[in-house]
Amino acid sequence: MTCGAPLDVRDKVSDSGWREAPRLRDMTEFRFSASTCQVEGELVPVAEIALAPQDAVYFEHHVLLWKDESVPLESMKTAGGMKRTIGGMPHIVTVAHGSGRIAFSRDAPGELVVLPLHPGMELDVREHAFLLASHSIQYSFVRIKGLANLLHGGSGMFMDRFITAQYPGLLLLHGNGNVLERTLGPGEKILVEPGGFLYKDSTVTMQAVQMQLKTGVFGRHGMYLAEMTGPGRVGIQSMYVHHGSEE
Amino acid sequence: MNTYVCRYCRQPSDPSQPTCPLCGAPVDLRDTISDSGWTEQPPIRDMAKLQFGQSHAQIAGTTVPVAEFNLAQGEMVYFSHHVLLWADPATRLQNMSMRGGWKRMMAGLPLIMVEAHGPGHIALSDNHAGEVIGLPLQHGQSIWVKEHRFLAATGNVRYDWSDNNVWYTTGDQNEQEWHYPMGQFGDVFSATDRPGLLLLHAKGNTFIRDLKPGETLLVQPSSLVYHDMSVRIHLHLEYPRNQGFAFWRNNWDYRNILVRLTGPGRVAVQSIFERPEAMEAITNHSYATRHRW
Repeated sequence: MTCGAPLDVRDKVSDSGWREAPRLRDMTEFRFSASTCQVEGELVPVAEIALAPQDAVYFEHHVLLWKDESVPLESMKTAGGMKRTIGGMPHIVTVAHGSGRIAFSRDAPGELVVLPLHPGMELDVREHAFLLASHSIQYSFVRIKGLANLLHGGSGMFMDRFITAQYPGLLLLHGNGNVLERTLGPGEKILVEPGGFLYKDSTVTMQAVQMQLKTGVFGRHGMYLAEMTGPGRVGIQSMYVHHGSEE
Repeated sequence: MNTYVCRYCRQPSDPSQPTCPLCGAPVDLRDTISDSGWTEQPPIRDMAKLQFGQSHAQIAGTTVPVAEFNLAQGEMVYFSHHVLLWADPATRLQNMSMRGGWKRMMAGLPLIMVEAHGPGHIALSDNHAGEVIGLPLQHGQSIWVKEHRFLAATGNVRYDWSDNNVWYTTGDQNEQEWHYPMGQFGDVFSATDRPGLLLLHAKGNTFIRDLKPGETLLVQPSSLVYHDMSVRIHLHLEYPRNQGFAFWRNNWDYRNILVRLTGPGRVAVQSIFERPEAMEAITNHSYATRHRW
């Protein structure tokens, strides 16, 4: 399995250790299982999947851009329906089976993040950021623990959790703006604007912390940030006010 | 004799220029065609010029491009008033008379179209990240454009609008709601007496596909940008196979609302589209094909 990143460019790493996600070249094609994925466009990229007969991908039903008539769709069982709805998570996840072609895109300028998952990996993703995942990846959700998180953390109450058991899989995310990744060492901390959080290894813990800012003699202003503690990867997006598709 | 035909605007063009003088597409760009047959519309190069009559439009910027017009004496363009970025005082602006004001207002279409008459300069831009698309129209050619994609047209392009006839209703007799997934009306532009230029703004990236006679494709209704008048469209309701999933409201429904395009003709879609409406059960609809998996 490949991720389509260009091989002839060096890693772009900022002085503080953030690595820019590789910008996929237009029409880049890569494989997963017996299927292929082609990425088209660079402003709001489209992922076009050619599904092999035994393969399937799942997605939130509103990211479907177009499909061949022959591609069957079915609903996916997701646990905790009411909790998911209250948490603002997609209530319906749809599965498309091979063989045939189907294409997906989100509704904001940004980039696709291709994350091949090896067996035994767990990845947490902010809600409504995942574009699609291959059928070998298990899908669940986790609640962000702590009342402070629920009330003040801008990244929502729940996160999507993707787990690979014995088979590898492919996960595609859509990050708004540019996407940057950093690997935290054990115990290493970083404070992130909650809206900028995109994904993290499940080994990274996250909690909302309040920063007290003084405004004038008596005034106080509380600013909440997400404190991420390693070890593991953290991915952030540079555009965190959603510029959606409203006319 | 010039035999070069621009692969994007499909008009005879000049291959010695870096960009097509009619639509602004780069001449030397290799085809970017996906495995399934979609051609990616290349962004018009920064500062490329599009000639029409004695006037020209220059496209400035690449993220939210601006179309800057240099209008000659006696020539004009028209546009929806909210896309005006700037105009020099010499340019004469006036209201364009339009029929069906009430219907247009009810359908959410722009009520006021403005004419800009040369000589003078004027600049237009939409306020979304995306691409400007140049569509030169040959004498007698018409094209359907989805509402809110229109940026500007030259004075000799006739503007009309038609009912899309793609709709469905939800709710009961007392609380019926009408939904128009690709808008109630579509814009129709025609070059009646001589060639003209149409400029559109699409959000995100744009992809074009040529459908053969009888070839069909299912797409998100709100992703459409334009299509040839020969392409037929109707509603398509697709019901995924249900794996024990149930709504707690029995008047809700699990379905994908798509449109079915049937060739022959050219179709363009953009990669940003609106989220489909909620899952309320459909009570009535325009002609539609259905598939239950």
